[in-house]
Amino acid sequence: MKTEGLLFAGCAIFFAVVDIIYWTLSHDPTGTTALALAVGLAFLVGFYLFVTGRRTGMRPEDRRDAEISESAGEFGFFSPHSWWPLFTAASVAVVALGVVFAWWLAILGMMFVILTAFGFVLEYYRGIHIQQ
Amino acid sequence: MSPSTDGSSRQSGRKPGRLGLVVRSAMTVATLVLVTGCSKDNVPRFAMPTPITAEGHRVLSLWQGSWIAALFVGCLVWGLIIWCIIAYRKRGEGPAPQLAFNLPIEILYTIVPVIFVGVLFYFTARDENAIDKLAPNPQVTVEVVGFQWDWQFNYLSSADDATAVTMASVTGDNAHGSPATLELPAGESVRFKLVSPDVIHAFWIPAFLFKRDVIPGRTNEFEVHIDADKAGNTYEGRCTEFCGLNHDQMLFHVKIVTPATYDADLAKMETAFKSGSST
Amino acid sequence: MTAAGIAQPITRPYKKRGSSLVNWMTTTDHKLIGQLYLATSFLFFLLAGVMALLMRAELARPGLQFLTNEQYNQLFTMHGTIMLLLFATPLFIGFANVIVPLQIGAPDVAFPRLNIFSFYLFLFGGLITIGGFLTPGGAADFGWYAYTPLTNAAHSPGVGGDMWIMGLVVSGLGTILGGVNFVTTIMVMRAPGMTMFRMPIFTWNILLTSMLVLLAFPVLAAALLCLEAERKLGAQIFTTANGGPILWQHLFWFFGHPEVYIVAIPFFGIITEILPVFARKPVFGYKGLVFATISISGLSMTVWAHHMFSTGAVLLPFFSFMTFLIAVPTGVKFFNWIGTLWRGQLSFDTPLLWALGFLVTFLFGGLTGIILASPPLDWHVTDTYFVVAHFHYVLFGTVVFAMFGGFYFWWPKMTGKMLDERLGKVHFWTLFIGFHTTFLVQHWLGVIGMPRRIPDYLPTDGFTTLNTVSTIGAFILGLSMFPFFFNVWKTWRHAPLVGVDDPWGWGASLEWATSCPPPRHNFVRMPRIRSERPAFDLHHPELTGRPQVPVAAGSAVEGGSA
Repeated sequence: MKTEGLLFAGCAIFFAVVDIIYWTLSHDPTGTTALALAVGLAFLVGFYLFVTGRRTGMRPEDRRDAEISESAGEFGFFSPHSWWPLFTAASVAVVALGVVFAWWLAILGMMFVILTAFGFVLEYYRGIHIQQ
Repeated sequence: MSPSTDGSSRQSGRKPGRLGLVVRSAMTVATLVLVTGCSKDNVPRFAMPTPITAEGHRVLSLWQGSWIAALFVGCLVWGLIIWCIIAYRKRGEGPAPQLAFNLPIEILYTIVPVIFVGVLFYFTARDENAIDKLAPNPQVTVEVVGFQWDWQFNYLSSADDATAVTMASVTGDNAHGSPATLELPAGESVRFKLVSPDVIHAFWIPAFLFKRDVIPGRTNEFEVHIDADKAGNTYEGRCTEFCGLNHDQMLFHVKIVTPATYDADLAKMETAFKSGSST
Repeated sequence: MTAAGIAQPITRPYKKRGSSLVNWMTTTDHKLIGQLYLATSFLFFLLAGVMALLMRAELARPGLQFLTNEQYNQLFTMHGTIMLLLFATPLFIGFANVIVPLQIGAPDVAFPRLNIFSFYLFLFGGLITIGGFLTPGGAADFGWYAYTPLTNAAHSPGVGGDMWIMGLVVSGLGTILGGVNFVTTIMVMRAPGMTMFRMPIFTWNILLTSMLVLLAFPVLAAALLCLEAERKLGAQIFTTANGGPILWQHLFWFFGHPEVYIVAIPFFGIITEILPVFARKPVFGYKGLVFATISISGLSMTVWAHHMFSTGAVLLPFFSFMTFLIAVPTGVKFFNWIGTLWRGQLSFDTPLLWALGFLVTFLFGGLTGIILASPPLDWHVTDTYFVVAHFHYVLFGTVVFAMFGGFYFWWPKMTGKMLDERLGKVHFWTLFIGFHTTFLVQHWLGVIGMPRRIPDYLPTDGFTTLNTVSTIGAFILGLSMFPFFFNVWKTWRHAPLVGVDDPWGWGASLEWATSCPPPRHNFVRMPRIRSERPAFDLHHPELTGRPQVPVAAGSAVEGGSA
């Protein structure tokens, strides 16, 4: 994970250097701000990955001599199929149409977004999926 | 290589083969060259109109030099691709030598392009500084008002914003097919001030080999030195920043006259302007 | 063929879980979601292509033939919007979805439901954007980069513009979430031994593209919401007194330039996957390609104002220099691609034709790009057909050629069947000839004086002949789609199943070490990964140059290639 961290952190450093040069030469607030935000995003991701990578050490996918069997066993939970993404996306679309056509529709859409987001996130924590 | 179950005619029938590929490529290229429809006189200028300003001549030289360099690189790389197509067609069903890298060559083709673009950048920086230069006292100053969907040209008494007054004004009528004509004297320096009351337009005179945007809330300025030998000609002018419904009709003309004619015509326009009628 | 040598009828290796509509609507399988993306974005491609044909038909001769100015303006606005944001961007997400988990040995993406959620955001957002055509005032008509003040409520009233804005906000959100998904998947779900520098170049490119998505799309979303606030709520963000017009351009192009690399870099990746398979040798200069692509991605965030050279409001030398600089890693990639072909054993199957077509076409687009990087030259040709020609050469040359190359290459992996080769060659040559006939002459048109975005021109302008040629080319281009449609149908109805993991024989990356198509979670068995070409090492162990270690039972795929 340290390689990935270095990738993002390296980009952050590059953007920072360019941003400083750009501000010095142009005094353009728009581009300088946008690049500064890019520095922030790249640094955030890169720092997190680098620090996590140092903590977790070499995973099987970081080692050149790893065997496939090292990641045998349960890999994770993968949802087999779900209706919630469709419903949630449709709710977002209703909000968008509400902004365009009528504010009451946007408010209705926001309510749907909240309901469907709850359904989406809690899908595998409810009903038959409740873990004791 | 592939199983006979794939259903295609892989084993049966001769494919056109290497010769067919090359012949068809050559035919395509020949057709394309004929089809570019170049008129003979534009070819040495790589399609650029004949420039009528000193700045335009500078642009033309840079254009020609850049295209020669670009086509040189292009022919080299296309040549390499075509060489690969001809020389490395598979012979048999086995693999190729498994070359995966060659550090000296990779370093070479990293460094050479850096030098290339460095040279291009030098000439670019030199020319853009020269073209963008504004002299303190241009001989003619024109305020260009671009609006949906026509042009107004205001001849100003000087380039100094604090003291300039409008001496004469010309407004176009594109809706009825009569674009505004901007009259300018040959051999003199002209400053343009670009303003817009509504949306973004762009002021393009192809014969200047130059355009600049006309942006509301901002006055753009540029200056040209018109060639002395271009009196008697009229040139096209166009809006080139999409500005709404009739953007394609936002045309104007630029008429280059001798300085004497210019002075006389300007005097007439001033009288008309003072007495209240424009155009 | 089994080890016993007895011919078995070739059947689909794994029973498909039903083909019902509900299955497609609720799927969380990256392979199916990817196909949804590919099919939907291809339909948008055809729609925007029809718009292009309408425009070209209008422009063939001077005088308005059958379109009004307003209709034409809507057509070019929606053509650009659809091609860039509803075709090319979702298309890369489609290919990434189908291929990346297979290439890294993952059972799916990191967030499968987020995946299908992103698809629906794209679908619904796209429908809202083009839904403007159904309103009385028509669709957005202010150009795909929507410069203010033209796009404010005063100059572009009408709900079509608002639908354009909000539709793009919704589909942009989908793209951002897709970027999140791919970055996470590539970082945490690689198989053992698949280090970063053993990932296929296509996967590297998707990682870098996703990074650009995360950096650029939020800026677009913010700018769009600001614009909508201005139109609907009277916000004063883009007023002319506040320098609003230039502000919009900076914000838009800060997104807009990375966007064109977002739609290019994945397709460079597809080309990099195709060339070694049909040259039968490894990718040349793997590390160089990775570093070049990282350089391109980083630099692409710093060149945005080369779209603003003619405003007189930007720092010319800075943006010109960075733009020239970006040509260097692009050139490095080019030479690496040629190096992949060099001393190869080239097999001119249809995917390779598409890759060669890309090389030939993109080269010219790149050269005109270098011309445009120079402000004194840009000032004459910007906003003319020269730029239109340039970006069609780079965008069409990259996206469409690599798209079809990817289709022909990965069709067996996705469907279990090979597309017909002869029809593929007809498709390629018709499209190649049609494309160049359409766009080569547009360079000339732009330089001699034809602006872009004009529904009409005068007979005295001298543009007529070249426009007629360009229109003929456009219709040839349109016709070239029909061999492809016929090929797809014919393959679906009549083509046999391939029955092997790697029908091409020389596949390198991990997707060629599982069945065609793969099972639900991609791999029943996986080979040991010791290089960037694990499937090649499995199928051609004599060529790896490494001592042949006997593989443990159950860690290699049987069947291999024919």
